[in-house]
Amino acid sequence: MKRLLTSVAMAALLTAAPAMAQDKTVLQFWDNQQTESGLSDYQRAAVERFEAENPDVTVNVTTIPYPEYQQRLLTAVQGGNAPDIATLDQIWVAAFAAAGAVEDLSEEAAAAGLTKDKFFPGAWDSASYEGGLYGIPFNVDVWQFSFYNAALLQEAGVDPASLATWDGLKAAAEAVTDRAAGRFGVGLFGHEGEDTVVVMNSFVFSNGGSVLGEDGSCALDEPAAIEALTYLQSLVPYAPQGILNASSGDMRQLFLNGSLAIEFWPALEQPTLQKSAIDWGFVNGTAPEGKTPVGTYGGWNLAIFSASPNKDAAMRFAEFLTREDVNGDVVDLVPANTKAAAAFLAANREGPDEIMAHLENARPRPLSPRYLEVADIEVRLAQDVYSGEDVAAAAKKACDAIDALN
Amino acid sequence: MLRDRWMSFAFLAPAVLLLGVFLYYPMIGTVIESFYSTSFINPNPAFVGFKQYETVMGKAEFWQVLANSLVWTVCVVALQNVIGFFVAVLLNQALPAQGLVRAVVLLPWVLPGVVVAILWRFMYDPQLGLINSFLISAGLTTEGIAWLADKTTAMGAVILAAVWKGFPFSALIYLAALQSVDREQIEAATIDGAGALRRLRDVVLPAIRNVILVNVVLTTILTFNYFDIVWVLTRGGPQGATDIFPTKIYELGFGQFRFGEAATYGVASIGVLALVAALYVLAQRAGSRRRRPV
Repeated sequence: MKRLLTSVAMAALLTAAPAMAQDKTVLQFWDNQQTESGLSDYQRAAVERFEAENPDVTVNVTTIPYPEYQQRLLTAVQGGNAPDIATLDQIWVAAFAAAGAVEDLSEEAAAAGLTKDKFFPGAWDSASYEGGLYGIPFNVDVWQFSFYNAALLQEAGVDPASLATWDGLKAAAEAVTDRAAGRFGVGLFGHEGEDTVVVMNSFVFSNGGSVLGEDGSCALDEPAAIEALTYLQSLVPYAPQGILNASSGDMRQLFLNGSLAIEFWPALEQPTLQKSAIDWGFVNGTAPEGKTPVGTYGGWNLAIFSASPNKDAAMRFAEFLTREDVNGDVVDLVPANTKAAAAFLAANREGPDEIMAHLENARPRPLSPRYLEVADIEVRLAQDVYSGEDVAAAAKKACDAIDALN
Repeated sequence: MLRDRWMSFAFLAPAVLLLGVFLYYPMIGTVIESFYSTSFINPNPAFVGFKQYETVMGKAEFWQVLANSLVWTVCVVALQNVIGFFVAVLLNQALPAQGLVRAVVLLPWVLPGVVVAILWRFMYDPQLGLINSFLISAGLTTEGIAWLADKTTAMGAVILAAVWKGFPFSALIYLAALQSVDREQIEAATIDGAGALRRLRDVVLPAIRNVILVNVVLTTILTFNYFDIVWVLTRGGPQGATDIFPTKIYELGFGQFRFGEAATYGVASIGVLALVAALYVLAQRAGSRRRRPV
């Protein structure tokens, strides 16, 4: 009899357990891992905090390496297995919105008090598409900062402040470069990657140019862009060989081994440099004399998927992750929430005010659902420019290809 | 009798089902998709018939991809098989530490493609690479050559890496074939006064002719569809100089969400491969007819 009672009690417990679990919303959250910063520990702590504040929700975090992330998300959406909420690269938002894969969060964001003034303006814009808001800005950074090796510049008699202007940067690169000795002035890169595009864009933006004009047509063949591209081409003699297959990562290697005086990276580079033996500094990009450098935004937004049955819980989670007291703990770029960013930069980065100024002034890449095709054409343009082809002809070819997309 | 036939069908059914689900269903789906204007941002595709083929083939990049794919496949297959054959001839001799030598020769083939690509990427590095260090120290150049960043050298550099990885596979197959050649025939040819080259041409090669053909067909298919080495080394660049069908299809499908165009490239690549395979089969049949006794 006793055995029977025990069995009945156990059976009751086993059947009740799933019912208890069903009361909780299980939220699937996907994020990509860009660095080896150990961030997931902080994310885990933040998730525990969220679950404590929201006892009706359990969050399952799936972290996917960056190179696989886009493919995994795409496959999940196509296969009907999308997560409830995920980080989306700024440049994917328009495509996911146009595909109807992610929700317009305009009303939910307004109701939660998430407004543009709480975030970097360019980051907010990067989540906008055709009047809707398809993501909450999560983290940001800006391409590019010109990081310099102070010892190499000093040896060549270069004032680091001069790097802020085009003339100064070129003169510095020329003064430092000694190709026979394997020493190079400026780390240009033009491989088939997005870092190629963002650096080229920032030179165009800093000269008052654009990638796409107001009407959506290509503006890379306009005088401001041509001038910027011609300037970039003029830096080639001072860059390491192999630009067309080099990435920002390759330039970092040369910078860290003392062969390269100036590398282009976002602020994310600082933790790596802080651990190195290099005496380094940075300036906020570079622009023609009298103009202010304008960077290109990079970063991620939190998007809620249309197929999610847990949109309310997902929105609460997005609100939580972008909160002033949380945002800085769960990002390894810069928090998109400006107040969180100020605190994060003060605690973790050198030159926080300069970084804030560059972030406030940056522009997003074109907000087009066909951006990835535009970027592919831009990579080819950069390769044409760096390989010495006629700049105006290369820009015309790129614009013909971009305009043919419409 | 009837029962035996049903039993045969029953045993075949799982294999046919697996092939149908995992091979033919996606393949037919790809062909169908190539007739639709489909992309991620256009989830309601429109039937466009052959218009997509016209659009794709009307672009210069398609013909560049086709030319690159043919150059890549022909060079890798030819070099891999020639080198593989001579390595097999060498390994077929009585060598000291024969087992160890064979294992060392096989090593590149055992390594994953991505690892091989990373290895060669380091070797080709213009500033830090072994190849350039050697050339500079030998006085052959004053500055590192950017092998993978120049459109005139990139394809050759990628081919060399692929041949290095692939030749042990051919060597292994040829070694097995060489060991099955009748020793008595070789000895008879030697007694008749045939030199080494004559024995190779008139005795060994005819004896392993079918193995060579199968090996060439196999390596052609594998090479044509190769992805990882090219992707890691150049991603199809610079300026499209190493863009082959698999890299283009991946970039269109997963890099730019253009599924319809990716499918069109996929079907075109199947067509090219089918044509190449058909040529091999014809060559094999022609060879068999020539050798048939009258």
